[in-house]
Amino acid sequence: MMETGIPKLDDYLHGGVPMGKTLVYYAYPGVEGTVFGMQSLCHAMSNGVSGVYVASSTEPHRIREQFNEFGWDAEEYGDQFAIIDAFSGLIGADSHERYVVADPEDTRSLTQCIKNAMEDLREPGVIVFESLSTVMDLCGESETLDAIEEWNQYAMLYDHAMIYNFTAWPYSDDTLLSIKEDVCDSTISVGGIAGEVIFGQYFGVLKANWTDVIRKCVLFKVLKPGGVRAYIPKILVTGPFDAGKSTFVHALSTRAVSVDRLGTTIALDHGHVDHKGFAADIFGTPGQARFDPIIKLISGEAMGVFLVLDSTRAEDFARGRQMLEITRSFGLPVVIIANKQDCDGTLTLEDIRGKLDMPENMVIMPAVATTGEGVFEAFETLIDMVMEVG
Amino acid sequence: MTYKLGISRLDELIGDIKSGTNIMMIGPPISGKDDITNIIAYQGLLDANAAVIVSTREPGNNVLEWFERYNLDVPMDRIGIVDCVTRTLGFGAPDTDNIKMASSPVDLTGIGVKISQFFEHFWMEMHLRETRLCINSLSTILMYSNLQTVFRFLHVFTGRIKAANALGIYVIEEGMHDERTIVTLKQLFDGMIEIREGEEGYQMRAVGFTPKPTPWFDYEIDGANIVLRG
Ligand SMILES: Nc1nc2c(ncn2[C@@H]2O[C@H](COP(=O)(O)OP(=O)(O)OP(=O)(O)O)[C@@H](O)[C@H]2O)c(=O)[nH]1
Ligand SMILES: [Mg+2]
Repeated sequence: MMETGIPKLDDYLHGGVPMGKTLVYYAYPGVEGTVFGMQSLCHAMSNGVSGVYVASSTEPHRIREQFNEFGWDAEEYGDQFAIIDAFSGLIGADSHERYVVADPEDTRSLTQCIKNAMEDLREPGVIVFESLSTVMDLCGESETLDAIEEWNQYAMLYDHAMIYNFTAWPYSDDTLLSIKEDVCDSTISVGGIAGEVIFGQYFGVLKANWTDVIRKCVLFKVLKPGGVRAYIPKILVTGPFDAGKSTFVHALSTRAVSVDRLGTTIALDHGHVDHKGFAADIFGTPGQARFDPIIKLISGEAMGVFLVLDSTRAEDFARGRQMLEITRSFGLPVVIIANKQDCDGTLTLEDIRGKLDMPENMVIMPAVATTGEGVFEAFETLIDMVMEVG
Repeated sequence: MTYKLGISRLDELIGDIKSGTNIMMIGPPISGKDDITNIIAYQGLLDANAAVIVSTREPGNNVLEWFERYNLDVPMDRIGIVDCVTRTLGFGAPDTDNIKMASSPVDLTGIGVKISQFFEHFWMEMHLRETRLCINSLSTILMYSNLQTVFRFLHVFTGRIKAANALGIYVIEEGMHDERTIVTLKQLFDGMIEIREGEEGYQMRAVGFTPKPTPWFDYEIDGANIVLRG
């Protein structure tokens, strides 16, 4: 089994791609699809799997730069990494790669290189195509479909995994259907939420013939460095006055801003979180009742909520519960943060649960926002809850 | 929502251009198509549009310099350039707010992603509802990819222009392509700006916006202005 390294995807595939199997990232034009194959390749190599990258629309030297921009160093893998250069031949440039496709417009020429590379791999490895669509553009649709079949059989023979990036340009319906449904053991759709423009990007498993897949869609963002991150556009942080909401937002965030005056939030806090394959934008509300109209305004469309409480101030808990109402958070995944656990006179989680007058199964987690203790554990818990719903 | 080219006489004759229109600009080399493209983009900036320019022949910086050269006071936060050149020259220049680097004119997938990102940014973050996309030029793209591939790419992006109520301008070098190429691509466009060599310099006209083509006009390019005569 080889992990794809794409957050959540390995869960949905129950571990990843078995060796000898094939997967296609089926991307819609304009959506960042190419990074998926790259990320799977680099993730596999970092787990000790040998990797081959078939470069068809970018110069090999540029490809190494692209890897670097994401924070992955291909050089680090030495002999474990090779490029099949199916690009230089197109523009008549010299190539220093181990495998050079003499005629990129002929699938036979490419097939020869792929076979050589597969034979040279001493152990099962992974072959990743930068862009199957470019191959198709150059060699023709039916020729490429035939070639894929041959490559896939070879891969099976040697127990290599095959991963294709494919951009679904308007090829013939038959071609698109066969890439989407037939030629590979699994298809991951990488799409855009389209309206007037593409508003957001998501991926989801369309098929995987070796397992019962989990059919969920994940919004994603591509970070440099970082690569594909499962993305949650809005998490709300609310709670009574002075409970530590702003501190909590800042403790989680790689960058954050607060609109405060004299130490109290008068408009909002906004931060970006990037943690273990997940990215999120988090929004903190003010706490004081006089800002309730603003609180209402900024709390729409959240996908999950942190309710931050000062564990020493039971008298504020009712206000906390009221804020969940103001922000219309009931029904959304909520994690209650029992903050200021370092202070004297903190209540235990059980005491807090007792005094809160909320459903028994509410998740309450301890934290010290000033030191960051517990904040990421809480984040992971909320993300799990949000993803579960999604 | 309508658009103007910023070429006064033509604009008067053809009237407002509907949003979602895709226009092919075709003419001989050195007839000033780069300038005309930039001027159309500039008119957009004056009208509070955003402008996305895909540059296949010049580094993105040169395009920005064009605006500086004529002291055009352009709002930088509304210009996006997809630079298909710098990387092919071997420079590892990073993306900036205004310039996103595509690997090469071959990499249509990459170019498509960068265009989409600018469109999203202008729509979502800047709340701009009018955007012009100028691809200068399709001829370079056609040097690297076959007609069918380019057609598929354009099919998608002319559709996006419609969906976004934007304006698309696509530049083609006259004489570089066979008749079949031009005829095939024409199907994708709603109108054309045609340029030809006249007795005393170059002439232009607009086709497809009015029942009959406009007359041919001699023109001169003066900095960021196009002066039509006749
Ligand atoms: N000891 C301790 N102090 C904390 C902790 N979290 C926050 N504080 C302090 O509590 C005070 C209030 O923190 P903020 O983050 O501004 O609280 P807030 O909830 O945003 O407050 P408002 O926006 O005014 O409602 C600050 O002085 C923080 O340093 C914690 O875990 N332990
Ligand atoms: Mg605050």
